[in-house]
Amino acid sequence: MSITEFIDKYRSLHVGEHVENTEISLAGRILNKRSSSSKLYFYDLHGNGAKIQVMADARHSNMDENEFCKYHSGVKRGDIVGICGFPGKSQRGELSIFPRSLVVLTPCLHMLPRHTVTSNSDEAQSEKKTRNHSWTPGITRNPETNILRDQETRYRQRYLDLMLNSEVQKIFGTRAKIISYSRDFLDNLGFIEVETPAMTMTAGGAAARPFITHHNELNMKLYMRISPELYLKKLVVGGLDRVYEIGKVFRNEGMDLTHLPEFTMFEFYMAYADYNDLMGIIEKLLSGMVKEMTGSHKIKYHGNGFDSEPVEIDFTPPFRRIDLIEEIESRANLSIPKDLSSETANKFLLEACEKFDVKCLAPHTTARLLDKLVGHFLEETCINPTFIINHPEIMSPLAKWHRSKPGLTERFELFVNKKELCNAYTELNDPQVQRQRFAEQLKDRQLGDDEAMVLDESFCSCLEYGLPPTAGLGMGIDRLAMLLTDSPNVKEVILFPAMKPQD
Amino acid sequence: MEGLKVWRLSSSIARPSNLRQLFGLGTSSGLVRCLDNGAAAANATNTRFPSRNRRASTSTSTSTNTSDREAVRAIRLKKVEQLRSKGTEPYGYKWDRSHSAKELQEIYKDLNNGEELDSESHHVSIAGRIVARRAFGKLAFLTLRDDSGTIQLYCEKERLLNDQFEQLKTLVDIGDILGASGSIKRTEKGELSVKVDSFSILTKSLLPLPDKFHGLTDIDKRYRQRYVDMIANPEVADIFRKRAKIMREIRKTVESRGFVEVETPVLQGAAGGAEARPFVTYHNSLGRDLYLRIATELHLKRMLVGGFEKVYEIGRIFRNEGISTRHNPEFTTIEMYEAYSDYQSMMDMAEEIVTQCALEVNGKLTIDYQGTEIQLQRPWRRETMHNLVKEVTGVDFTELEDDLKVAKDVVLKAVGLGLDSKDKSSIEACPSLGHLLNEVFEIFVEPKLLQPTFVLDYPIEISPLAKPHRRHAGLTERFELFICGRELANAFSELTDPLDQRARLEEQVRQHNKKRAEAVSVTDGTGEKKNIDEDSMYEVTLDDDFLTALEYGMPPASGMGLGIDRLVMLLTDSASIRDVIAFPVLKISQ
Repeated sequence: MSITEFIDKYRSLHVGEHVENTEISLAGRILNKRSSSSKLYFYDLHGNGAKIQVMADARHSNMDENEFCKYHSGVKRGDIVGICGFPGKSQRGELSIFPRSLVVLTPCLHMLPRHTVTSNSDEAQSEKKTRNHSWTPGITRNPETNILRDQETRYRQRYLDLMLNSEVQKIFGTRAKIISYSRDFLDNLGFIEVETPAMTMTAGGAAARPFITHHNELNMKLYMRISPELYLKKLVVGGLDRVYEIGKVFRNEGMDLTHLPEFTMFEFYMAYADYNDLMGIIEKLLSGMVKEMTGSHKIKYHGNGFDSEPVEIDFTPPFRRIDLIEEIESRANLSIPKDLSSETANKFLLEACEKFDVKCLAPHTTARLLDKLVGHFLEETCINPTFIINHPEIMSPLAKWHRSKPGLTERFELFVNKKELCNAYTELNDPQVQRQRFAEQLKDRQLGDDEAMVLDESFCSCLEYGLPPTAGLGMGIDRLAMLLTDSPNVKEVILFPAMKPQD
Repeated sequence: MEGLKVWRLSSSIARPSNLRQLFGLGTSSGLVRCLDNGAAAANATNTRFPSRNRRASTSTSTSTNTSDREAVRAIRLKKVEQLRSKGTEPYGYKWDRSHSAKELQEIYKDLNNGEELDSESHHVSIAGRIVARRAFGKLAFLTLRDDSGTIQLYCEKERLLNDQFEQLKTLVDIGDILGASGSIKRTEKGELSVKVDSFSILTKSLLPLPDKFHGLTDIDKRYRQRYVDMIANPEVADIFRKRAKIMREIRKTVESRGFVEVETPVLQGAAGGAEARPFVTYHNSLGRDLYLRIATELHLKRMLVGGFEKVYEIGRIFRNEGISTRHNPEFTTIEMYEAYSDYQSMMDMAEEIVTQCALEVNGKLTIDYQGTEIQLQRPWRRETMHNLVKEVTGVDFTELEDDLKVAKDVVLKAVGLGLDSKDKSSIEACPSLGHLLNEVFEIFVEPKLLQPTFVLDYPIEISPLAKPHRRHAGLTERFELFICGRELANAFSELTDPLDQRARLEEQVRQHNKKRAEAVSVTDGTGEKKNIDEDSMYEVTLDDDFLTALEYGMPPASGMGLGIDRLVMLLTDSASIRDVIAFPVLKISQ
């Protein structure tokens, strides 16, 4: 049986009780070894995130005493062992297995790092603390309690991190649950999971620098996808009304606390729905997920690093909604020109940025200036989940023009703890307008904005066959996992994060 | 697939003047649709048919088709303008559906012919693409298809408001996406219909759908414009629905046994875990080359070292190799690893996964694949590679001495007659007895393994990550699962001894570099064989970190990789991998 099953089954034994007539077999890794004599050894046996004590007593062993002493003196911390024995509780009340036989299945050839605390009493204390403080999603973590604390080693040799730091398995368990919850949620709404190419002829669907690779036999340049969006919409055109994909997306950009070159994107598209519907759906998905995983709608998060106090984030629906232009206007006391594609608007925003000391690197396209103002005035206010809605057309080349507000689109971004978590819109399905939008992006590109979107002709001609009214949403799984595991660094939630080469 | 053939109607009603003619024609000949079918059969290539006056000038050449297509597009763009000028947005924002077509067909399956249900409780709302239409003076029938199926729209002039009926006749084309609401009626002819009292054009389509898309000479186009293929042939979309079901069933099966899903990196500093040419890319800010993964194996094993006992990953794998009906440069596998078990346990797992998926998709365990009946009832045959080779060729490798040359002679004597020169030379090129056994197996046995068969105990020389067999020297505890002559899964008791593993990987690198050096010298000499030998011109490096991880100790474990695309091919009776990948990689179109 597994160690967890063992604990569940025998946790109610009395102190000192032994169940000698049952034979149990367990396996795991030894992370602690103590001997009180050559005939009595204590081990901590770890497996799948759980731990029990092994009380190896020569009297219970199938080996004779000499053999026993010799064998156990050779068992090391880090070894993987298999044990046949009976369950019981020690006199000190600790649930244990008492081995009849113990064999090393795989020896560990290295010394495992130990808790790097100076004095022994401290070690005992903090080990005790680790034991009592069992982390669950939604509450804060304290990296100081980790046994292995060197970040470089933790990320480069994740297996050591997983082995020694009890929380880490739970973090990745939480990540797995986030994904399976999202899948079940959409499956129940009649969505189907699809797979679209990771390598494509043009890199569309987002504004980002792609990775380039080459297919030898076909002698063909290929891009790694920066977004699955355009392909998913093609499937909606093809008649799959509700589709989603959870998969890797690649961006050839710098790395920081929230960005890595490959990350996991969750995108879904729903025919006959609009962005209002999606706000309702994502509220339900996120609040339901947080509730199920943490037991409440509120989580604690070290949004400003482990050195600062954690913030509380409240996922109780409905989430706050703020209109992008209106909110900037009211917060900055501005009156932004209505025609955002005009020179006047560009000049106005440039001046506004200067006035409020909002930095924007060249090129000063209107879209980039506005984006900086949003960052300065709005994102800062979004600790609890907040929808920023109705982005201007110039910022949103794939979103549909707003049904009643000229110049704007039916788009929202969901911000949590000042970071974008979701991006969604009523999809632009008029092929002519889509072509115009791409043409405008090209202008920005020529101004030097190399993150402006490139024209995808195959997508435009696909739209000519008719995309039903559709709303689509993209959500960063890694960022959501960061929130629910109190991880201010994205590398905490990615098993093998990209690292700078070690030289 | 009657409905499909009516696509050409969309172009036929291109011009309002033609439209009226057509409708007139409709009344005299009964149904436009009938005529249309006839035309389709007679004129498979003359696809543009439209109207009589046009047909005369329509040749079978593609240029005409293209210009027709442009003409249709221009006319439909005019309709977009017309709609907007009337204050109707031809690209709607949303539509609330009360039912899907399938739900209605189900709910009202007992409704009698000619019966109508007009009360408020039978008022329904649906949306989908118009795939066929017939119109008479004051009556029009449209076939609407949504994700679930089709239903007829029964449109009476009196029932529709204002000029909606005129709009329907003049501005709606086949291919448009409509929302409609109304009551329920089954026509005298037995067709369940929504008797429309209002409708709305939700998306105006601009391009006519090609005719007989499936049988077109340009099969390439089906893959390039998959969405058109899907609209024209709903069974194509069904494959992707089944694919989704298979994925869900696989996850359900492994998760019910306690496996946890993880994600390992696609971009890696070194590509390991298999022998294949990787894709290379360059990361600007790191300033280094990165490789796309060719397997997930080495990272998943690190998870076992880290203390996970059951993990799996379903994900994309990339191999920079040729494309064929069985190979796409990116494909999907599930790899799973279980601590404290051996390859026997993975055989049960493979049986479980494949049979569960077959039941989910086909409801039965006897399936047809391209004309062959496949029996998936458990247990499946389990036989060693040695015995299978002996069975088919008569050569008993256990009796062969350790002399490779003698062994080759024995093999060639036994089976040489039936060999073509390519197979012969690959047999002669085998560097070891193990390679020889495998070569003979691949040539003679593999194609015969139609019914599910676990082939056990592969030679160590070709299994660098598998554990030595506990009883037979020179063999490993490895199996591959074959169905329909194709490898579907590959599994082993994992090699956990770090020293053995290091030696084997180093040997692999050595062999590869040797091949590479030979290739270089051959190329230098003749310059001709370049294409063949380019296969080995990529670099293979040792994944040192993986070996270090093994040194920290990996529990005894078994692992398996299973090709999901091939499983979907099998269970959807698809001949090519391109039929089960929505957007396969294709050669650059001319």
